[in-house]
Amino acid sequence: MLRVPTRRRNRVDIADSGALSDLAFLLIIFFIVIAVFNINSGFLLGLPRKNSVTTVQTDDLMRVAIDADDAIQLDGRPVDRRELTEAVRARRQVQPNMTLMVTIDPQASYQSLVSLVELTRMLDVDNFSFRMGEP
Amino acid sequence: MSDIAFLLLIFIMLISLMNYRQEEPIDYPEASLTEVTQADNNLEIWVRRDGTIVIDGDVVSERGAEGIIADAIAEDPSVRIHLLADRNTEYRTVASIISILQTLQHRVLSLVVSDGTQEGTP
Repeated sequence: MLRVPTRRRNRVDIADSGALSDLAFLLIIFFIVIAVFNINSGFLLGLPRKNSVTTVQTDDLMRVAIDADDAIQLDGRPVDRRELTEAVRARRQVQPNMTLMVTIDPQASYQSLVSLVELTRMLDVDNFSFRMGEP
Repeated sequence: MSDIAFLLLIFIMLISLMNYRQEEPIDYPEASLTEVTQADNNLEIWVRRDGTIVIDGDVVSERGAEGIIADAIAEDPSVRIHLLADRNTEYRTVASIISILQTLQHRVLSLVVSDGTQEGTP
């Protein structure tokens, strides 16, 4: 009787194979990337109570208005963003407790609000309020 | 074995993408000095350029948004509300959402912006 030599395969344990570790590595990378994509960043605003009233000294008040074209007015005078930044910085050095009160036209862009919030964070203006103006 | 691993990987990626948040095509407002505003429990309110409000992929009215926000706050008072609005949307829509939060006595709002490092995403 003729015997043909056969080669037996060695069974490989799944846990010992490289494929499983490769898969785990890829999954980890995938979930890390997904987690990073889902993280929101921006500004946290503390909202006051509705119709709440805060008493502020008029001397500490700095009035800013943004019209429908996103043009800025400081105490009734047209200014650009750089001039506003300098004016707020100078005022804050004199009056650290100053309050920045912003009136925003309903048709103004959302970016104008974000830019003002950014300005308050940049200059550490603690007292900051904004409301919608008359259309 | 590698074939099974590959198929498993595709399967898990597809399942994850199903749970992925519903992105709206908006131009994010840009700002620097941002901070991470993500919390454990989050509710995202999207506002398109034309003022349409979208929550969880569904277009809702202001009244509908108020109901969804109220439910989310009732379920978890510490839920973080994120506002993801187009930079060119009118302020009136943003003001209406802020007014809803004030009515519901929710004190914190996250304005999601792009820091400019990655165009189109926060």
